[in-house]
Amino acid sequence: MDSALPGAAGQRGIPLYRLTSQQRLAKRGLAPDKNRTMNNWNNSTCGNHRYLLSRRDMLSGLSAGFGYMAFAGISTAQAAASTPLASRRPHFLPKAKRVIFCCMRGGPSHVDTFDYKPALARDEGKQLPKFRNRELMPSPWEFKQHGQGGLRISGLFPRLAEHADDLCLLNGMHSSVPAHPQSFLQLHTGSFQFVRPSMGAWVLYGLGTENQNLPGFISLCPPDNVGGAQNYGSAFLPAFYQGTKIGQFNQNIRTASLRNLDNQQVSGKLQRKQLNFVQSLNRDLLDRKKQSSQIEGVIESYELAFRMQSAVPELMEIGDESQATLENYGIGNRATENFGRQCLMARRFAEAGVRFIEVAHGNWDQHRNLNSALTRNCAATDQPLAALLRDLKERGLLDETLVVWGGEFGRTPHIKQNDGRDHNSTGFSFWMAGGGVKGGMTYGATDEHGVAAVENRMHFHDLHATILHLLGLDHEALTYKYAGRDFRLTDVHGNVAHDIIA
Amino acid sequence: MGRYFFSAVFLRVINKTKIFGTAFAAVAALGQADAAKSDAAGMAFFEKNIRPVLANNCYQCHSAEARNLKGELFLDSKQGMLNGGESGPVIVPGKPAESRLLQAIRRDGKLKMPPRNKLSGRVADNFAKWIRMGAPDPRVANGGNPVKSKIDLEAGRKFWSFIPPDTPDTPEVADNTWPRGEIDRFVLAKLEANNLSPVRDATRHELIRRTYFDLIGLPPSPGQVAAFLSDTSVNAFEKVVDELLRSPHFGEHWGRHWLDVARYSESNGMERNFTYPHAWRYRDYVIDSFNDDKSFRRFVREQVAGDLLGRDKREPTDEELVATGFLALGPKPLNQGNKVLFKLDVVDEQIDVTTRAFLGLTVSCARCHDHKFDPIPTRDYYAMAGIFRSTDALYGTVNGQGNRQASDLHAIAGNEADRVEKTRKHDNSLYRLNGRLLIMEEEMREYREKGSNATGNERTRMRTLTRDIRDARANIKSLEKKSPDADYAMGVRDGRIGDARVLVRGEIRNQGQTVKRGFPQVMDGVKAYPISNRSSGRLQLANWLTQPDNPLTSRVMANRIWHHLFGEGIVRTMDNFGATGERPTHPGLLDYLAVRFVEHDWSVKSMIREMVLSRTYQLSSDTTEANAAADPSNRFLWRMNHKRLGAEALRDAMLATSGRLDRQPAGGSVVTKLGNVNVGRAQRQLSQMQRNTSQRSVYLPILRNALPEMMRLFDTAEPSLIVGKRNETTVPTQALYLMNNPFVIGQAFNMAKRVMDTAEGRPDGIRLAYELAFARAATDDEVSRAHEFLNSVAEEKDRPGQWTVLCQALLASAEFRYID
Repeated sequence: MDSALPGAAGQRGIPLYRLTSQQRLAKRGLAPDKNRTMNNWNNSTCGNHRYLLSRRDMLSGLSAGFGYMAFAGISTAQAAASTPLASRRPHFLPKAKRVIFCCMRGGPSHVDTFDYKPALARDEGKQLPKFRNRELMPSPWEFKQHGQGGLRISGLFPRLAEHADDLCLLNGMHSSVPAHPQSFLQLHTGSFQFVRPSMGAWVLYGLGTENQNLPGFISLCPPDNVGGAQNYGSAFLPAFYQGTKIGQFNQNIRTASLRNLDNQQVSGKLQRKQLNFVQSLNRDLLDRKKQSSQIEGVIESYELAFRMQSAVPELMEIGDESQATLENYGIGNRATENFGRQCLMARRFAEAGVRFIEVAHGNWDQHRNLNSALTRNCAATDQPLAALLRDLKERGLLDETLVVWGGEFGRTPHIKQNDGRDHNSTGFSFWMAGGGVKGGMTYGATDEHGVAAVENRMHFHDLHATILHLLGLDHEALTYKYAGRDFRLTDVHGNVAHDIIA
Repeated sequence: MGRYFFSAVFLRVINKTKIFGTAFAAVAALGQADAAKSDAAGMAFFEKNIRPVLANNCYQCHSAEARNLKGELFLDSKQGMLNGGESGPVIVPGKPAESRLLQAIRRDGKLKMPPRNKLSGRVADNFAKWIRMGAPDPRVANGGNPVKSKIDLEAGRKFWSFIPPDTPDTPEVADNTWPRGEIDRFVLAKLEANNLSPVRDATRHELIRRTYFDLIGLPPSPGQVAAFLSDTSVNAFEKVVDELLRSPHFGEHWGRHWLDVARYSESNGMERNFTYPHAWRYRDYVIDSFNDDKSFRRFVREQVAGDLLGRDKREPTDEELVATGFLALGPKPLNQGNKVLFKLDVVDEQIDVTTRAFLGLTVSCARCHDHKFDPIPTRDYYAMAGIFRSTDALYGTVNGQGNRQASDLHAIAGNEADRVEKTRKHDNSLYRLNGRLLIMEEEMREYREKGSNATGNERTRMRTLTRDIRDARANIKSLEKKSPDADYAMGVRDGRIGDARVLVRGEIRNQGQTVKRGFPQVMDGVKAYPISNRSSGRLQLANWLTQPDNPLTSRVMANRIWHHLFGEGIVRTMDNFGATGERPTHPGLLDYLAVRFVEHDWSVKSMIREMVLSRTYQLSSDTTEANAAADPSNRFLWRMNHKRLGAEALRDAMLATSGRLDRQPAGGSVVTKLGNVNVGRAQRQLSQMQRNTSQRSVYLPILRNALPEMMRLFDTAEPSLIVGKRNETTVPTQALYLMNNPFVIGQAFNMAKRVMDTAEGRPDGIRLAYELAFARAATDDEVSRAHEFLNSVAEEKDRPGQWTVLCQALLASAEFRYID
């Protein structure tokens, strides 16, 4: 019986470290389903209104449920094709298959990082009519042009700047409220007034996941406040679309793990025996019922859980990475260690087929000590971010992985106290890389002082629409019926920024 | 001691709303003729001389973009200027002398605007000229115009759910031997019409486990199973049902169903998640109401208008005040600085919960436009909004960082014994604090006298003392303010009474006509009492909701009860009886039940009893191929649906099986012990307090965005949403929980101990374990397989360990989680 069970014994043999990473993943059953290449997608489903099938509906279409199939030794990829999380076709040809969102909690200062404002130096100390008693302060950091596109990036991000030709700076961002909790929620769910599903949940609902052995939406170390679980929650979407949280905000990611993975009481061998016994009880029940998609679902969930139990820790254990890779990410260096690990894990999850990965860093809320704190934040993230882009590129993953960087808003060009900038939701910066976005490009602009977005303005709704579009999803067609009407991530808003798409 | 606990803040709000209200009236006097006066020259004048000044000097505080709107005044639209702010209209077109805006600019009166820089005389003259011209202003929306609606109410009234239920004739059936009562006749008629035949009846084993879980959310003990099996009397099952309906656990289980709909939670959720330390009183009120078999009519009336049921003739009872917590429990944007916008969102949430919970109608869809699918025009929304805008929500929370909208609470009496104890405690703590303060002040005086001779140590002590004295004084002050005998509860009370204006497209600056407070017009056949200008209209709303001819209230509740017993509603969209909801599978049956419900004084227990005693309820959950092919989702009820235990029942069943369930009501909540805090900061403390609790799950702390892990994983109701029907997901994280979580392993260990302590020898132990877990006897085959399994784990585990591993397997199995 054991050998027929996926994830059971019989997977050991060649030491894992001798294999390439793809082979390693395949060996663990962690490789994404390679049969579904990008070329398989076509436009035939474009604009189609897609409904969520219930587990029962989907199973009723099969002559035998997957409970039987798994035990008959049929590949789990086939069995999984009928689960709610199964990989699904987008509406049209996608540019990207997955997203890594680097969320900078607190509101990073755009005028000190990616939005060059020479007028601030000219007008230093002056007051803008709308902001009296506050003096304009030029960025203490020097901006230089980088790459073929000549992107202007401040000296705070020297390593990232080396990837300028992969970056698409979005300098015309704006959002609705200059307060952390509201804006953070709006960034993640599109709404700060109502409880709505998060962006990752919508993506998972739209596309399913490529690897059934892993959660499809992982949020690493998300903050507990500013909306907490709502930021990776599924609200009215079924719960399997909610994000799986690993670790606490600012917790050392080394000590973080997915809950309920460990069992100190029994050995792995004994647990497999116990699981076999549970499954035999479940099959008895299924036999008595003759047909029950619910019980088939239970049987399947145990097999997935058992595989997940080994898959997740293996992915989070980065011991099999080369020393060079670890050094690239800044692992081993105190300043960059934690975020470096997060980025490396994000790459590993991406490689293994997780659909939406969020990594978090904070705090970027510099009302005072801009100089020291912003320097520290950038030093902690610059190298890991650069390594992430490089690593993805080297593995051929950058083209199909959309990397997004940004926070809930930006900061004012003027200062209230010395050395601090306040919240600014009227204009700020994001950047994207990979995933079908043009590199070496700056899209959108703020006014000459960096107060408000004036050109190619992008609200969070537009950001969401664009991200969905890159994933092959039409933000107006990705709907879910709840409380008598269709809901969507972008509500009644959202424009795709077509100009940034390669 | 007054009933209510007024705070200074609250009174201030009342005053503001009062003035705001009069502003409405003043605007109504202004005709639309003013708009017509504006000619091209006037507009050009405005663009050149007025708009830039407003934009540069006023919008920062008086526009939609304002970070903190000041004085509730919008100067960025014509309507906003005409409406004025909390102290009335700011311009009177044609009359500069009466226009307060001009006085403020000229700094003639008390109000001086803009506050920091005085505008030049030239600018002021321009404003005078402009007002004299009639204040032409292109920034006009269709404010003040009547709101047009294209909804055909007459056609809408013909929709099935708006037609009052009428006792339908009991249908004829071919097989007269099968039905036991009316319900069965309705079901069988449908089955026969669709060429389906009901499956076999459930066995007694199946039936008793099902009924226990459905009625009290707990499994029967082996003794209870045995007693039922050996009871040969005709009414053996009836006796069990009646006993369960009398059990105090009934209310805990059925109360939880209502708490799903009432989006019950002990914290605010949203962007600033503060605790509601007194929410549990509403939870207990709901549990008690179901246990007492309170008439559902009264239950609705208390929740909507408990504070008003005494009609000025008597004080409301504690129970009635606590009931109104229903309207106060929702999530609220506490960080919202603008009080008017905040109130609008609270009102919207109240409309949503009231109409969906009681009526299965999504009225809040009509906030910004006419309902797209149902015959509910926007003006109906604002007719209801007027009722709730005239109502103040009392939800507590502390004013502090991130919370700009703290509120009052109901002070309730509590019981006599509590009150005596509390008065004593209150006096004691005051006495003690005052004593400590005196001693500290004395000590401080000594140091002060030493002046510069004080030593370093003494100076340090002085600093500490200064702080302690300050704290002690603050504590005494707040203690004195608190009434010694007060308990607190969330709820609502009437506030500043008034009709609301339609907000076109839901925008606060875009005000349309005033709408009289009232109810959805599509149901104007329902008897409604007029709403006087002295009351909010909640009492009338409560009456209207519970009129016998209200077509929805009784149907919606009967359908909810059906859903919880049969696994699916007769209308499968529990909270949506509108056009986008599903149609009833058995319309006649639904009407029959609704009428019965009202006839039996809206008794929930009688309704449940009748349903459970039907033969339909007592069908097995078997499948036959022919039926499954013709009706795969069992819409016609040819069998019992295979139901899954809810998260609460699953946890409670584990505790009951292991013998560790604490059957006492909680009598409070740990959230009260946490006090008024931000949930994010209290997580660790909370999990410590919760570590070893074995109370029923309904008493676990339900905090938004921080649900207990097991509840969250097993699809408990999301407490921010109105949940008539829970999600049912089967995912690996649930399996991981059952395989690895210490709670499950702990219960398996306790169950193993129970088995080893009770049973002699392995086979008996195995039989007992199966009986405990599944309320049925193990087959011989099962016993021998379990026996083998125990052997196979013997090499790694000692005897308790072996039994624990076996018991965990039973708890984790599908059979434990599903009800036959």
